[in-house]
Amino acid sequence: MDFAALGLTLRLATLTTLCLLVLATPLAAFIARADRISARLLQAAIALPLVLPPTVLGFYLLVALGPTTMFGRLLIHILGHPLAFTFSGLVVGSIVFSLPFAVLPLVLGFQSVDPSLTGTAAVLGASPFTVFRRITLPLARTSFLTAAVLTFAHTVGEFGVVLMIGGDIPGITRTISISIFDQVQELNYAAANRTSLVLIAGSFLALLALYARRSSRGDANA
Amino acid sequence: MPEIIWPHHELSVEATLSALHLQTSFSLHAPWTVIFGPSGSGKSSILRAACALIPKATVDFRRRTSDPPKFTTEDLQNGTVLGALVTWQSLTQRPTHLRALAYAPQHAALFPHLSAGDNIRFPSQVCQPPTKDSALVDDVLELFKLHSLADRMPTQLSGGERRRVALARAFAVPNCRLMLLDEPFTGLDRKLRDELLPRMQAWLAERKIPALSVTHDVDEALLLNADVIRLEDGRVIAQGPAQEVLAVERERLLQTLA
Repeated sequence: MDFAALGLTLRLATLTTLCLLVLATPLAAFIARADRISARLLQAAIALPLVLPPTVLGFYLLVALGPTTMFGRLLIHILGHPLAFTFSGLVVGSIVFSLPFAVLPLVLGFQSVDPSLTGTAAVLGASPFTVFRRITLPLARTSFLTAAVLTFAHTVGEFGVVLMIGGDIPGITRTISISIFDQVQELNYAAANRTSLVLIAGSFLALLALYARRSSRGDANA
Repeated sequence: MPEIIWPHHELSVEATLSALHLQTSFSLHAPWTVIFGPSGSGKSSILRAACALIPKATVDFRRRTSDPPKFTTEDLQNGTVLGALVTWQSLTQRPTHLRALAYAPQHAALFPHLSAGDNIRFPSQVCQPPTKDSALVDDVLELFKLHSLADRMPTQLSGGERRRVALARAFAVPNCRLMLLDEPFTGLDRKLRDELLPRMQAWLAERKIPALSVTHDVDEALLLNADVIRLEDGRVIAQGPAQEVLAVERERLLQTLA
């Protein structure tokens, strides 16, 4: 069992999830509210990592973060070093890769809030931001849990993007899924089996907690 | 010579709804105005349009902001009041929350995650600047006799109780300039309605807040002694005192009682 890789993966998944919840909330609020073509374009762009091969995404991220692009040069100038093959680079990659898993549940959550409630709140004097904070957010709170669990699990399991922009540097960019790949390469099936079982158990427990919570809420509302 | 009565609000709405073309234009000048019409005639949509809740509606909505100038039709004929100015404020371009309206929608629409009391406190918490003064909320709880229900969640309330909370929440809007009530007494038993109605009227009169309500109940319109706007198929077919506009319905009602 590669505990360094496990710790690194949990750190990466936690950071990615926290960043994504902050980032995804305004994006989802915009997509859920707006009928405009711009919202549909944004939604399609955000959903792209769902269908794109991770290596394609990883390749472009690697290029974008490197010194051949303006953005990459700016980043290098600010940070003093390239983002590729660093832990921060992994976080950026994971955020892009897991974006749809955070945004789409939130869009569904926001859209499920009855518009007559938000409309009434506005007539009673609440500004759009207050309506969002006092009505939409609390009523869509379970979708935040869904978004967090999906983002976390998806980040733990990512492979292609991580390998493309992070490489396989022990303690810096070697995540648990890469560690499993290495163990299989070394024909160390017993170790790969142990690591994989830990991941299966973790993912199952997370989903179980999510669905158990949902069904108990359903009973309370019935 | 009669004194001229100035309207306090003017509203015109044009909208194409699923099965109805709504085209109305009217002035509000009475303390309480009732839009009366059969179901499906577009009553609720007019209120929603005034709140800017119907995105595709063409609305013109304005409010008188000066005291009504005092003169008679005779003065007008003599030309002695040429300088008198009435100032109006257009609400059409204003976002919903800055229109100084209060609204009790037809299906209560209580915020399900807030207790009855917190629903009623909501308007005073979100208004700008927020008011710390709880006197208004206390007054409203007293007016609708909701003190004992304040801690209940909306799911723990009966239909009639929910309706009362929705009315109370509208009455608890600070600095409200027009009260919009969609079928305010539907689901309340007659005894409670007869008790609440004059209290609500007195409460609004004391604070000089005009009301615009929607009903299909002749009795209610007569009881309110309101100015009635009669709506049919999305158009205004009459406006005037309840006794006149609803004379036919009143006769029918009296006959069934006799």
